[in-house]
Amino acid sequence: MTSRRTLRAAGRVTTSRRPRGHRQPWLGYAFVGPAVVLFLVFIAGPFIAAIILSLYSWDLLTPATFVGSGNFVALFSDPVLGKVLGTTFVFALASVVLHVVGGLLLALAVNRQMNRALSYFVRTTVFFPFLISWAAVSLLWKYVLDPSFGFMSYYVGQLGITLPDWFTDPTWALPAIIGIDFWHTIGFTFIIMLAGLQTVPPELAEAARVDGANERQVFWNVTLPLMSPTLFFATIITFIGAFQVFDPMKIITNGGPNDSTKTIVMYLYEQGFQAFQIGYASAIAVIVFVIVMSVTLLQFWGSRRWVYES
Amino acid sequence: MIDVTTPRTAAAGHAGRKKSPTGSVVLDVMLFLIGIVMVAPLVWMIVTSLTAHSAAFSLPPNWIPVPFTIDNFTEIPGLIPFGRMFLNSIVLAVICTVGSLFFSILAAYGFSRLRFRGSRAILIALLGALMVPAQLVVIPVFILMRNLGLIDNLASLWLPALINVFQIFFLTQYFNTIPRELDEAARIDGAGNLWILFRMLVPLSTPAISALAILSFEASWNNYFGPLIFLSSPESMTLPLGLVTLQSGFGAAPAVVVFAAITVVVLPVLIFFLLFQRTFVSSIAAVGIKG
Repeated sequence: MTSRRTLRAAGRVTTSRRPRGHRQPWLGYAFVGPAVVLFLVFIAGPFIAAIILSLYSWDLLTPATFVGSGNFVALFSDPVLGKVLGTTFVFALASVVLHVVGGLLLALAVNRQMNRALSYFVRTTVFFPFLISWAAVSLLWKYVLDPSFGFMSYYVGQLGITLPDWFTDPTWALPAIIGIDFWHTIGFTFIIMLAGLQTVPPELAEAARVDGANERQVFWNVTLPLMSPTLFFATIITFIGAFQVFDPMKIITNGGPNDSTKTIVMYLYEQGFQAFQIGYASAIAVIVFVIVMSVTLLQFWGSRRWVYES
Repeated sequence: MIDVTTPRTAAAGHAGRKKSPTGSVVLDVMLFLIGIVMVAPLVWMIVTSLTAHSAAFSLPPNWIPVPFTIDNFTEIPGLIPFGRMFLNSIVLAVICTVGSLFFSILAAYGFSRLRFRGSRAILIALLGALMVPAQLVVIPVFILMRNLGLIDNLASLWLPALINVFQIFFLTQYFNTIPRELDEAARIDGAGNLWILFRMLVPLSTPAISALAILSFEASWNNYFGPLIFLSSPESMTLPLGLVTLQSGFGAAPAVVVFAAITVVVLPVLIFFLLFQRTFVSSIAAVGIKG
């Protein structure tokens, strides 16, 4: 970083020439310019390139050939696309419901008068897993859920329930990863919900109680509507994150068994970086983009229309 | 900044409720059990990593490391270049964090304080990038890095990370909340733009900047998708990729050694969190609420 003296000097030179330095038009470009160049090279350029590549057939070795909408036509009759999209939507929707409901209930349970040590313990342990990389979480849980030496199977087994062999069973592999994802990221939703809950002015709940509302009515008619911006934000951000899930499926099951945990981004990875079908993979990427963009636009639009704003 | 680490019971929607003591106790017990379930896998991992091969993974599960050993940790460097991977992860995370914040701070000052033709249009174009998922641009960026000869080089990961549109947006909004009268006062005293930015706005924005720094460091430290695509040789890998290689690569390590390696990667983050919990949690809350 620039030294204090240089900063001072730079300041003097600018101000002595033109007292209103912030009116110089080139100065704005000088400050914004580096970020704009990086944006053009690493986001805008690749964005346009990806759309162009989706119209070509290219394996990185032989020259690319223009196929027009060929990749998309092939994609829409590709049975794998339907399957991976279905898996991805199931994962994303389950993730949204579990996180929003679970996060809200946890926040409500903690946001009351309670033992300080217990409060600290719960806040800390619920948030801990969120700090850990998907790589570590995936490897750890592969062992936790192992039917022969995982502690989870052992203790549940003691209750007389036999758990499935999660990751070799096509029915149970996806639910297992949904559960692991919940353990991993519920801390984030919890914190967002807690912060949202604390923006609710206590006077309003008090006023409702004075008017004779019971706790149930206060929750449904005062707390929840006032938290709608938080709930909406948590829903959208969880959906967008979950829709792009890749790491746990890649590390734990590699998409199996029977492709039951293969998500859209995993399919993109396989086509692009293992089969080197650059055009086909770009077409998949365009589909991911269209879905993510629709949800983001829904956020902009919905936060104006449905959400209570103070 | 919103403080969610201390209970604001007065503000709680349910604080005034005259609850039956039994209901409260049931809730307390449930929360305690949830906490135990959340932390159990981590405790099991740490205990197992400190237990000798022969006794690890015995049933019923071991919750005390007996017989105690640190051999599992000393075995790691013989299997993967662990020290080198640790260094790679730190170097990458520091460059990504410092670099992206530097460019974001400059740009945010431009958008917040300077008048120039097209500034609004440029900001809107940048905001559009928030809708572009990483997976869409990764293929062209891969081809670009291949042509630059940067595959298997950390630069292929930190160069694209220098631009962080969310940071620019967040900081522009934050700078907008700082009164412009302060700028004018500093200008009268002879201060220039760089002085106003780095000596005044940046110190006044410490909460926002440290929040973004924590999130940026965390994202880089935990990134798996990027390194999987851009890095191939063990010497250039980062820790998340190294862990997976340790577990599934050629000559895969025994599970206890994998646990030891995960512990080394995870424990510093957990300790750092315990020390700076307040900053950590309020960062997430602040970004969550304004985002």
